[in-house]
Amino acid sequence: MKKATVFNIFLILVLIPATLFLGTKLKGRWYYLTSTLMVIEIMIPFFLAFETRKPQARELVTLAVMCALAVASRVAVMIPNFKPMTAIIMITGIAFGPEAGFMTGAIGAFASNFFFSQGPWTPWQMMAYGLGGFLAGLLFCRRRTARNPVFLAVYGFLSIVLFVGPLLDCCTLFTVSNHLSWKYAAAVFGAGLTYNLQHGAACAATMLLFSKPLLSKLDRLKEKYGMMDARTA
Amino acid sequence: MNNDAFSQCHPLTNFLFFVGAIGFCAVIQHPIYLLAGAAGAAGYYLLLNGRKGWKLIGGLIPVFAVLSALNPLLNTYGKTELFTVFGRPYTMEALLYGMVIAGMLAVMILWFGCYSAVLTSDKFVCLFGGLIPSLSLLLVMILRMIPSLTRRAKQISDTRKSIGKGLTGAEGNKEKIQGGMRILSALTDWALEGSIVTADSMRSRGYGCAKRSSFQIYRFTVRDSVLIGLMAVFSLGTMLFGGVDAEFTPEIHVDNPTWGLVCYCAFLVIPLLLHGKEAVCRSIALKKV
Repeated sequence: MKKATVFNIFLILVLIPATLFLGTKLKGRWYYLTSTLMVIEIMIPFFLAFETRKPQARELVTLAVMCALAVASRVAVMIPNFKPMTAIIMITGIAFGPEAGFMTGAIGAFASNFFFSQGPWTPWQMMAYGLGGFLAGLLFCRRRTARNPVFLAVYGFLSIVLFVGPLLDCCTLFTVSNHLSWKYAAAVFGAGLTYNLQHGAACAATMLLFSKPLLSKLDRLKEKYGMMDARTA
Repeated sequence: MNNDAFSQCHPLTNFLFFVGAIGFCAVIQHPIYLLAGAAGAAGYYLLLNGRKGWKLIGGLIPVFAVLSALNPLLNTYGKTELFTVFGRPYTMEALLYGMVIAGMLAVMILWFGCYSAVLTSDKFVCLFGGLIPSLSLLLVMILRMIPSLTRRAKQISDTRKSIGKGLTGAEGNKEKIQGGMRILSALTDWALEGSIVTADSMRSRGYGCAKRSSFQIYRFTVRDSVLIGLMAVFSLGTMLFGGVDAEFTPEIHVDNPTWGLVCYCAFLVIPLLLHGKEAVCRSIALKKV
């Protein structure tokens, strides 16, 4: 067995249950630390897979460009709170596959926080954006027929309001609640809903207008230079 | 790069300090420990940022107030009722608990602010470059590209403005979004075209042929081992002496402070003390000249 596989098995069978066990046994307020450690542990296999694969220069640079584009995209549209970032991450996942989507989301979130500020939210953002890209890639990467902009816009909106946004709200829940209860959860998710709806609408608008040109550009790149083909073809 | 003494230490020392400071802050809900953490974090943040640091600290105060006031609305446990809101009791215990939790969040944000200033991206890559070479190369490339793409986006939008397609405030949101997407589209083409050139040039210079080495400017000195040793002793002391428990609802119960509190304070003032020591040494050295 490969070293990475052994480590992943160790992670899933030993480290994650151990974290959960310790989190429930210790006295005091361990929600934030336990949940954040879990988030980091869940992301490790993705990073490890990328690292052990020894990505080629072309793949690396293209991923870097997509991450930077996702972060820099918020300068292009001058409307406050309009963030096309998630849509670009999802489109990358759709064009290059789930793994590329995850890397773009996770590393893009991490890198963007170097310009804003790292915070208790950093691991959660990495996880939420990464899984957003991963899920889009998983669902649409092999289905060329499903690449209808309207369909993708609906998908983007729903996946932010139902999946990415609530994941980010979980971070708020674990940081500010003094004990976990459904009442607290309802209050936090309710407070996050307006923001998530806004975020989802921005994603839908970007998908509607930008998914077709961007997907065709990325497909052309793939075809012309034979990149990222081993996994997506 | 900051000029304070702790920022000049090895990245590993910096990283371990922040793991400890943020980790303790996230877990200990004892009010005195929290106050110590707040003083340590605010002091170091002000040392790093100077007068500009007050902006974040001032901004955190309303957040703290709102979060503390909200908690009793959701959590009605507690003996001492202050007044009723919508027929539900608003208790003092829950209010105090809310203040502690809001304080923990505020202190954590301050520590992360210090972290961002001290552990810059080059230090991060220096720390993890050996462990995750491809990912840290990816990170370095992204960090370089974000400003360059932002600049290019501005160039494209300026060019569009000069042919009368600028985005001024007069138009509606629809035009703004459409225009923004045009800019994004042009930017994507520009950036992806460049990426192929970069990648080919990387390959022709031998990327992937051998283990990547990275430029290391930081040296692990005796000072770093001493600091890491001190941090280990102080954090062990904090954990072993105990006295960190605090319960708020339904009844307030706070442990009496022990030697653990002293250890915790000693841990937190390491960067400030280091700076003070450097300043004193410097003034003595200047007097000798």
